[in-house]
Amino acid sequence: MSPKRILLTFFAVLLLTGVFLRAGLTRALVDELFANEEERPVTLRVWDWWSPSANEEYGDYFAEIERRFEAQNPDIDVVYQIVPFGNYVQKLSTAMVGNAPPDVFQSSVYWAEGFYQRGMLRPLNDLLEKNSAAAPAEQVTAERFLPPAWRHNQAADGTVFGIPQIIDAQCLIWNLDILAAAAATDEEIRALFVRRADGSVDYDHLRFDAVRSWEHFRRLTKKLTVRDADGELLQAGFVIHAYGGGAGMFSPWLAANGGRYQDAAGTKAMFASPEGVETMRFMAQLYWQDEVCPPFRRQISDTELFQEGKVACMVAGTWSGKDIMRNTLGWGHFAKTAFPPGPSGTGEHKTMTWGNMLVVTERCQEVDAAWRYVQFVCSLEGNLIRSRTLGYNGPRRDFYETEQWKKAMQERPYLSNVKEICLAGDKLRHTEIIAVNHQANPVIETLLLRFPEIEAGEGPQPSVEAALREAQRNVNGVFDRYNEQVRRWRAKRGED
Amino acid sequence: MQKLLPYLYIAPAFAVTIVFSFVSMGISLWASFYHYDAFAGAAAFAGLDNYRRALFADDSYFWLSLKNTAFYVLMSVVGVLLTALPLALLCQKAKRFQALFRTLYFLPSITPGVVLALVFYHLFGVWGQLLDNAWTALPALAVLGVWSGAGYNMVIFLAGLTEIPNHFYEAAEIDGANKWQQFRHVTVPLLRNTLVFVSVMTIIGSFQVFTSVYIMTEGGPERSTEVIAYTIFVNAFAIAGQMGYASALAWLLFAVVFVFVFVQMRVFRSRRIYDE
Repeated sequence: MSPKRILLTFFAVLLLTGVFLRAGLTRALVDELFANEEERPVTLRVWDWWSPSANEEYGDYFAEIERRFEAQNPDIDVVYQIVPFGNYVQKLSTAMVGNAPPDVFQSSVYWAEGFYQRGMLRPLNDLLEKNSAAAPAEQVTAERFLPPAWRHNQAADGTVFGIPQIIDAQCLIWNLDILAAAAATDEEIRALFVRRADGSVDYDHLRFDAVRSWEHFRRLTKKLTVRDADGELLQAGFVIHAYGGGAGMFSPWLAANGGRYQDAAGTKAMFASPEGVETMRFMAQLYWQDEVCPPFRRQISDTELFQEGKVACMVAGTWSGKDIMRNTLGWGHFAKTAFPPGPSGTGEHKTMTWGNMLVVTERCQEVDAAWRYVQFVCSLEGNLIRSRTLGYNGPRRDFYETEQWKKAMQERPYLSNVKEICLAGDKLRHTEIIAVNHQANPVIETLLLRFPEIEAGEGPQPSVEAALREAQRNVNGVFDRYNEQVRRWRAKRGED
Repeated sequence: MQKLLPYLYIAPAFAVTIVFSFVSMGISLWASFYHYDAFAGAAAFAGLDNYRRALFADDSYFWLSLKNTAFYVLMSVVGVLLTALPLALLCQKAKRFQALFRTLYFLPSITPGVVLALVFYHLFGVWGQLLDNAWTALPALAVLGVWSGAGYNMVIFLAGLTEIPNHFYEAAEIDGANKWQQFRHVTVPLLRNTLVFVSVMTIIGSFQVFTSVYIMTEGGPERSTEVIAYTIFVNAFAIAGQMGYASALAWLLFAVVFVFVFVQMRVFRSRRIYDE
């Protein structure tokens, strides 16, 4: 063996020894850390997609929930597992089949009904019945929640399969720096702001119903769009992301125009209506005719443009305020409003609202512990912890009466319209969303990207009406197949 | 015992292959005849319904995704052959640092596809927004496929080139053949088996393209990059109760790839080019 090889071998052995020693030391440290922790008889496995690796505030939240809950329940050891949102359905199915499911998990409204229909979730009605005897702040029954939060968590027969943990709605988010600058010379923009009792303008708050109609919105965004002498866009009034999930803003605009995406039972799609066509044209015209938007770019998100101060208004969730502040290192001078009524609307400001929920799996072995956890997280105390650590508003009615919430609204004025926006929302579409998106989103994407050609009769679709009709027919195919599957699953379980 | 020993040696690998390849393939074939869900299991016998739906239903994207996949395969095969072979020829000529060039070109092949897709996602945003347009998105994905596969195939070609005896070139040179004629009449014919191998493997790999689509375009814009593996994935893992349908799509893909490869192998079957 050459001296060079001997030296290399020596260093390799040294490195390996170091790694093993280090691992041994770390193990000893870990053992020592947990040596004094008392053994808990029940281990509760909880899944969530809120990842501390993406946002350390989620780490703070889970740590506080765990600390408080375990202090109140000394027999339970809570173990969290973070599963990426995009992999949830696949991983949950695998875990359930492999007999290693979580006991409790946060379920998006996107999947909850489907999970229940497949027999993956435990009905909670019996547990809810017992809960009605608890103290009001610990009750998690329907009357304790805002009505829009208590919509996605039950089947048509009244079976409750989840307890709302949050409430979210889509909304218009406005850059108040841009609006305040424009308001200096424009009375119409100044009128958007709240007036104080003395008549002065409060530049930190927008009125919930500040934007009166689509025409008003169009006029405002045109005024807020700034171009240089060469026509280059310096500041956009509004932003539309045409690609992929960007088609999601179609639903709230449709609701504001008096239309619905689907019926409540999930049996038919309804968006190819005259209201739907009008909505699609309105969105496309904002881009192509009014030219109030930056160019469609796949790689640049609306949020990035908004955070950079390049657009005056974007569509986002009510939950997004804390994220914007975080990403902009503390800039919080923005405000939220609902969507103004369209020409075919009822005159009300609308949006889409949903309440993601905690659910207990059907194969959960520790139902009592799981239910205690659900009650705690969805109690007033759990809502306040989320508000404090994550900046989220809660789905409970009593949450909005607390001093903590009132203080939060003072510290972060962008929260002021949030409750009203959530209350103004129709039920977010909920049946087989991924399959529906797979059918409908590419059509909406095409309509946005190729609108002028389509209107001229030269595009890949004969007209807006025909494109939406085709998408609706395909979505109805999804609903038909899904409902047929549900019938088969129920028959297999002997429920029919 | 001595006779059994070889079988004993191959038994572990054989068992793994049987369980993880053939058994799972069998299950997927069985599932393709059922309305099957990963959790709820088989709900009802579907017969050929899943295949009928894939081939004839109005809302099926099988033919569209097959067309997109075929375009991708064509671009990839042509792209790989036009890059890997010249790279191998150049690398063979390099008197110094050949190992370094080999390593550098090979690096993309061992880089995870997700990482490459994320890097190229942003690069294509800078380079003329290639992913934003229905006409350029699929070619852009093919560029990534070719770039990431060129190094690997270059090494295969390089191995093939070193196998060609030098005296063929010497004889050609004596006969007055120029460099192009030497390439055309010596290199290409004697690389025939390698060319077939590279093109077959590229075709099989390209038919299964998924990662770049999943990360970069999700089938868009306007379904221009919706390839068959992505359609299978969406139905199998993102939509409740469609595992049977997805399995049917997978078996249709298998049939297409099988026919392609079978025809190719028949047409370009291995044979002696020049008698020594």
